[in-house]
Amino acid sequence: MTDITLAVALPLLGAFLLPLLKEPALRWLGRLLGPVLLALTAVIIAFNWTALETPYVVALGNFAPPLGIAFYIDTMALLFALAVPITTLLLWPGINDEQAVRRESLTLLLVASLVGLALSGDLFNMYVFYELAAVASYGLAAGSGSSAGFVAAFRYLLISALGSVVALLGIGLIYFTTGTLNLAHLASLSDQLANPQGLAAFAMLVIGFGVKAELFPVNGWVPDLYAAASKRVSALLAGLASKLAVLVIVRVLLLVFPYEETRQLLLILGILGVISGELAALQARDVTRMLAWSSIGQLGVVFIAFSLPGEAGVVAGIVVALHHLVVKSALFLLADKWGGAIAALRGAGVRSKLAAGLFVLFALSLLGFPPLPGFWSKFLVLSGLAAAGDPLQLMAMAAVLIGTVIEGAYLLRVVVTLYSKPDSEAPPMKHSLANLASTGVFALALIGAALFVMPLWPPLSDMGKTAANTDAYIETVLADPEVKQP
Amino acid sequence: MSLSIGMVFFIGAIGLVTIGIAGIVLSNHMFRMVLALAITEAGANMLLILAGYRWDAVAPIVTGMPSTQSMVDPVPQAMVLTAIVIGVGVQALALTLVIRIKQRYGTLDMREARRMMQQELDAQAGVKPSASDERPVGERPLPPPVGVNAGVAHD
Repeated sequence: MTDITLAVALPLLGAFLLPLLKEPALRWLGRLLGPVLLALTAVIIAFNWTALETPYVVALGNFAPPLGIAFYIDTMALLFALAVPITTLLLWPGINDEQAVRRESLTLLLVASLVGLALSGDLFNMYVFYELAAVASYGLAAGSGSSAGFVAAFRYLLISALGSVVALLGIGLIYFTTGTLNLAHLASLSDQLANPQGLAAFAMLVIGFGVKAELFPVNGWVPDLYAAASKRVSALLAGLASKLAVLVIVRVLLLVFPYEETRQLLLILGILGVISGELAALQARDVTRMLAWSSIGQLGVVFIAFSLPGEAGVVAGIVVALHHLVVKSALFLLADKWGGAIAALRGAGVRSKLAAGLFVLFALSLLGFPPLPGFWSKFLVLSGLAAAGDPLQLMAMAAVLIGTVIEGAYLLRVVVTLYSKPDSEAPPMKHSLANLASTGVFALALIGAALFVMPLWPPLSDMGKTAANTDAYIETVLADPEVKQP
Repeated sequence: MSLSIGMVFFIGAIGLVTIGIAGIVLSNHMFRMVLALAITEAGANMLLILAGYRWDAVAPIVTGMPSTQSMVDPVPQAMVLTAIVIGVGVQALALTLVIRIKQRYGTLDMREARRMMQQELDAQAGVKPSASDERPVGERPLPPPVGVNAGVAHD
């Protein structure tokens, strides 16, 4: 079996090699290096997945956990890790200008840190990878070079850095209480954290890591940044980075804080996110900011889903998160050309039929139109909420449904504008072939998921079972006599 | 009133974090916001160090120590080293962005810069600004009251 740590090491190596290949004679090698490394990373992770029988631990530096830093490999980690290089490959910035090297190198750095985030089984390791991802995304966000981009990136940096400090305080509080940072060890000691102090630490972690996950109170940076940054960067951040931040919060929630109070905290923040995000999206009058706000709303749904107890919550959360990853990345790709005011899109659908068709497909899936995966994701969340049936859960149901209605209002408004009679003097907005090809792959993934709902279900529910099984996690990490050495 | 030395340090660390967060939230000057961020990080780092500190112990160096001698917990110190390095990078990046914003917009005032950013984003997207900071959208709903000099008042 190929070593899984290569999946982190290879993109990291690429990120530091690329600036060396800036010479014109070597530039072709540099341009090739990024996609090749990403493909290689995806292949390594896929190989590991097919060879995976039971979850296992990789002890880095030959120190067995809980002393050393460990990677924990299970299907949920591998699924999110695999999503990173594949999505990045589809969103790869192919433009060749003087900024290209820096952008590609930062993208590779982001990939390395996000894969690390997915695999990490140690709280402080997570913090370091999260910071690495944050620094890479500040650079990518500021890379658009517009003045607005600098201000947006600065605000993002301030909010995110403050969030990191708060998360660090939370980690410190946890270490202060339990004396360990290994997630499995923490899970076995989680009784010590079932108190106000533990809840405070969880709230700090959620607020801190929630900045990237566009959680309700700390998402002020989202619309400005996505409007100012290039659309591929927006797609990377909204589609991919947010999901990995969610994964961190979910791991901590499932393993260390499996309590009613912590779930309720997540649920309430999710409800507030859905309502505020969707209402703001309804108000937006340009496509980019509409997508940015609606992304806040949909991540609210992700948090609501993960707040459901047990296996059902994990499965629903994974489905909603993956669906949002595919759809939102694709919509941002389409917004690359259609980023302006909604009113300016009049007739664009008549001119470029394929792009408009794809937009309609993604919009319908986002709304939850029955055969498409969006329907199943929302169905899982709603049925889970209905089964729980507490007043707060019923409120969340209402929030999701109202959110869907509002979503319908603004998405269908765009669709109607796309297909209305074109203004005669408006320039034709053509999509580049690469753009449409990437979007097409996302569409194929979506349709494929719709067709193969039944075969996809058993592995997904397996994944939820494994991820929600705290005892097995502790057993694997702490009691395994032959910890796999790198 | 006797306050143990450890307590003083704890209060100091929490005070630094509070001052820093207040500085970021209340200040509108970009450079001061970056400084406040640095202060917050310093407070958090200090709190982490204190979490593993023991007053009667020595530095965590394993060789050449009597085995009975108790040592300071090295894990928080390693964490803080990492956090300091990350903090330096982030602050450098923040200052670079501040310099760029000053070059482009000619201001270090956050409100001013945000207003200009919104204008630029609106212009880019081709939409009219939804509302100005100074007055509501649209015309004045009622004519100005008689006897008031409308030209001087609110502009």
